[in-house]
Amino acid sequence: MDENFQEDWLDTRLRDEAAYVDDGGFTARVVQKLPARPVRHALRAVILLAVTLVASTIAYLLSGGGWFIAEEVTRFVLLPMPVILLCAAIATGLVMAGGFALAMSRASGRLR
Amino acid sequence: MALTDADLVARVLLDDDHHAFAELVRNHQSSVRGLLRQLVRADVSLADDLAQETFLRAYKNLRSFRGEARFSTWLYRIAYNCFREEARKRKELVGIDEALLEAQHDPQTTDPALRHDLAHALQLLPLHERTAILLCCQNGLSHDEAARVLEIPLGTVKTNVLRGREKLKRSLAAWGPN
Repeated sequence: MDENFQEDWLDTRLRDEAAYVDDGGFTARVVQKLPARPVRHALRAVILLAVTLVASTIAYLLSGGGWFIAEEVTRFVLLPMPVILLCAAIATGLVMAGGFALAMSRASGRLR
Repeated sequence: MALTDADLVARVLLDDDHHAFAELVRNHQSSVRGLLRQLVRADVSLADDLAQETFLRAYKNLRSFRGEARFSTWLYRIAYNCFREEARKRKELVGIDEALLEAQHDPQTTDPALRHDLAHALQLLPLHERTAILLCCQNGLSHDEAARVLEIPLGTVKTNVLRGREKLKRSLAAWGPN
């Protein structure tokens, strides 16, 4: 009984010793040192789109109005049909492989 | 309604919400700083530097907090690792600063002499016993939680608490109930 009482006494004293430490600006100092927030995903997409548009416009103007695109499209259309189908199949395969790789990397990241 | 630690952690992870993280710091700064002050033997400035490092590491590694343990237990573990690294750097821990030790306590709650004796008795304990006592008896962690924080077996924690308590009781025998 006395032993239990002594234990309670010690626990009480130890808990008393853990006095509340006043914040005193500590939280503000920690928050100030946090790394800057990364650019949000939506903003990043807008920036990427804008940069792509500007770069495309510059490339279009520098290439003389994009005449070479029309020329290459004409040459492509004149190719034999099996070659066109093969190109389309390869392009489709590349897009699917890219999408699959992206999906796999996201899934493994979520599992980790 | 106050948000739980889990809610705040989710907000930080989803929106990188600094306000939510500030709330977490506010909620836990007292216990983390208090523990570190005891561990570094009342060097308030060093303890606060370590506490700041603790919260910054917590922020950077928040994704590794899986919610299996209490957030406070996870924080104590980071704090203890910070302390261990600092102790390793310094080789030996700093001495007791009596003036600071007395200044940080409210003299009205307990007899200052008892407070002084208890603090002194705690400082005399070996580090492993002192840490176990501080975590379990002062900060309310279970033996299992303390074992996770200290990364030692559960049985060792129980032994350290038991031995530490015995030594404290002997040191403070004059203050104990008759």
